[in-house]
Amino acid sequence: MVGGGVIQQILRRKLHSPSLATPVRSWFSSKTAHVDTGSSGVRAFALLGAGVTGLLSFSTVASADEAEHGLACPDYPWPHDGILSSYDHASIRRGHQVYQQVCASCHSMSLISYRDLVGVAYTEEEAKAMAAEIEVVDGPNDEGEMFTRPGKLSDRLPQPYANESAARFANGGAYPPDLSLITKARHNGQNYVFALLTGYRDPPAGISIREGLHYNPYFPGGAIAMPKMLNDEAVEYEDGVPATEAQMGKDVVSFLSWAAEPEMEERKLMGFKWIFLLSLALLQAAYYRRLKWSVLKSRKLVLDVVN
Amino acid sequence: MTRAFEYDLLSKCDVSNRKEDSCVLLSHGAEDEVVDPKKYLEESCKPKCVKPLLEYQACVKRIQGDDSGHKHCTGQYFDYWHCIDKCVAPKLFAKLK
Repeated sequence: MVGGGVIQQILRRKLHSPSLATPVRSWFSSKTAHVDTGSSGVRAFALLGAGVTGLLSFSTVASADEAEHGLACPDYPWPHDGILSSYDHASIRRGHQVYQQVCASCHSMSLISYRDLVGVAYTEEEAKAMAAEIEVVDGPNDEGEMFTRPGKLSDRLPQPYANESAARFANGGAYPPDLSLITKARHNGQNYVFALLTGYRDPPAGISIREGLHYNPYFPGGAIAMPKMLNDEAVEYEDGVPATEAQMGKDVVSFLSWAAEPEMEERKLMGFKWIFLLSLALLQAAYYRRLKWSVLKSRKLVLDVVN
Repeated sequence: MTRAFEYDLLSKCDVSNRKEDSCVLLSHGAEDEVVDPKKYLEESCKPKCVKPLLEYQACVKRIQGDDSGHKHCTGQYFDYWHCIDKCVAPKLFAKLK
């Protein structure tokens, strides 16, 4: 809005002060002098009109953009953010518990297997026991029939719906996305997911959300199909940590961050190691280059003039 | 929760320091008195964000009589909550496990 006004002022000033014309423009105006006198009024009107429409379009675009992009989420100080920081594995364990009890009824995580959890959040026995609780379709057997069996470590986490259509049908047309990569699949994913889960609020004055949707300022457009899922004490943590909304949000986002980037810790260690080694190599290379060039750089050229 | 665990929680509640924040979260003695730290911090950050809050309330008042359904206060609402978020974010995780 401000930009439109400023542009308008600049245009007005340029029109009303011909003495400020650059040499180029005066050359043009001298060439087409007979046209200028008549059309200056029309030009002024046209530029004014352009300025006004610019002003109006600014105002409408600004208000549509805000809700469209969603409220920008703040940056939270995640414990695994530092250059040498690892995940908080206790948090990942709690986060998996939250996922299992709150989110898994609608969201799949079809890229994670039970074996991936071993050594990260659960021991092998615990993971085996968890896997054994689910039924998996396997086969065909020797008779050519498909059969069900209890899960193993090698099985993927169970999917709540058979396919996307079933998921949409059960959720009013909206598809609960797979969460395996969600923190990488959204801009500023970790902060966005945390802000979204803990950011359900009453809509601003003048905004009404239709039946079946819920207001969330962080969601682009503001109207999300998922209701508020994290409520205080919704989960009872195994380790006794009080399960407040913010705690569950932090834990589940830690879990989702791990799920999307399980290699993060190894990557950071590798990065640190190789950056260190390569900087030593750089110093060695610099020394070696200067050593070899010293011969040429310390040359003396004598100009011998014969008198 | 076991008794021992409760004692452990309460011992972290440094009464001598008069740090109400840590006590509010950790004194889980009375059964259902868990306070969500984010809500608590949002309330305590309200004084810092009075200006956008007043702008929002002024907007609400302005559009009160409107029947066209086109007027809304999303802008002021966003400004207010952005201010609150910026205030809450650095402090929140210190209150969580």
